Amino acid sequence: METIINNESGKTLVVLKGRIDTTNADQFQQDIAPLMEGEHPDIEIDCSEMTYTSSQGLRIFLLLQKSVNARGGKMVLRKMNPQVKEVFDITGFSNIITIL
Amino acid sequence: MKLDLHCEMILDEYRAKLPVFEQLKTVVLSQLHRCLDEHNLLVSGLEARIKTETSLSGKLELKGYKYHTLDDITDILGARIITFYSDEVDLISALVEKLFEIDWENSVDKRKMLETDRFGYLSLHYVCRIPRKLYNDPSMPELNQIRFELQMRSTLQHVWANMYHDMGYKSEVEIPVEYQRNMSRLAGMLELVDEQFSRIRREITDYRRNVQSLVASGNFNEVPLNGDTFRSYLELKPFHRLAQKIASINQAELYEDSLMPYFKVFYLLGMKTIGDIQNLRNKYSEGAYQLALLQLAGTGLDIVACSVAIQNLCIVAILKQGFGEAGLQRLFGLVYGESDYNAQRAHRVFEQAQKINLIQ
Repeated sequence: METIINNESGKTLVVLKGRIDTTNADQFQQDIAPLMEGEHPDIEIDCSEMTYTSSQGLRIFLLLQKSVNARGGKMVLRKMNPQVKEVFDITGFSNIITIL
Repeated sequence: MKLDLHCEMILDEYRAKLPVFEQLKTVVLSQLHRCLDEHNLLVSGLEARIKTETSLSGKLELKGYKYHTLDDITDILGARIITFYSDEVDLISALVEKLFEIDWENSVDKRKMLETDRFGYLSLHYVCRIPRKLYNDPSMPELNQIRFELQMRSTLQHVWANMYHDMGYKSEVEIPVEYQRNMSRLAGMLELVDEQFSRIRREITDYRRNVQSLVASGNFNEVPLNGDTFRSYLELKPFHRLAQKIASINQAELYEDSLMPYFKVFYLLGMKTIGDIQNLRNKYSEGAYQLALLQLAGTGLDIVACSVAIQNLCIVAILKQGFGEAGLQRLFGLVYGESDYNAQRAHRVFEQAQKINLIQ
């Protein structure tokens, strides 16, 4: 699991690579912790190289979404592969998180 | 502009007291914000300004003889609350009366000053002081002695007053007679519009109260489907039992999310009453559960959103009514917005539904 964070003209761009599961969910949460209090509440997450997310991953996305909303920003997940998208669909998380 | 010695002394007093006025402005605004927040009142505007030296000089030049000291001029600090509706002005003024000390002798209700056959400036002006029990700064005791003016009016009253002011007139008598009539006609029209907005809001509030009691009574077939009735229906958590059953597949945590996006789905499915939704729920709950079972069992996913229940109900209803894959794609577009994912998802769900014989 790899998390790359870049700030570009007032927006935070995140690239996620690999699986988010029980073995690395804590690490993922630590990696994105700066985004929970950053100055740029607008976050775009590129999921094209993300291969799976477990429930722990969903919970972290939910925390991040709440934090972004509280700061008046927007969070968008992009380029999700069909397998990962299905996890969001069957759990109803597509109704909570914006996936484009 | 040349002022006499008396007016120059008032101007000197103004310059010396500017820091106090600045502090007063901060206190007035913060107290008003706090008061409005405490009473959950939304207003269209809350603003304050300190009269500029140029403006004060102009006033002194015109009628400086009326004032003995700066304290006699009550609008050096002027604040204004602009409400959305005209009937909120009385509500706000009642709160202001409790908050500040009101100088009744110098306060004026311009709404009551016009003759019954005249239309024009409508606003409530209070001259106030900050009571010590509300704010007390021992280093600035004069702050509680200074009077300030607080204007309260509706948005439309504000529009009229602003336009009037923009034309450069301070009072009605300054306007050329040929334009006075037009300004009065506009004031009359805005007064009518203001009244209608207040009336519509009152009627909608009454309607919502009636809807809540009708929904709560359980006579769902008598409740027409609209945004208000659907919201009231959701307060009864009609899909919660199904959501809990779905969550139990993986002993999952249920996360409560908004179900309002599904209003337009039910509407487009031809539901006319809340009773229609209730019937749909009763008819298709088992199919919705079977679909969730196929999708979630064995995944280990132990968090699900409450919307899964209503989402699966809609999927089953669409398939049972024969709308097929295209219907599913439309559903996802309505709820999640148009996206390339919708076609893929519709295809995948359609295949899953075939496996458990949900296709009509």
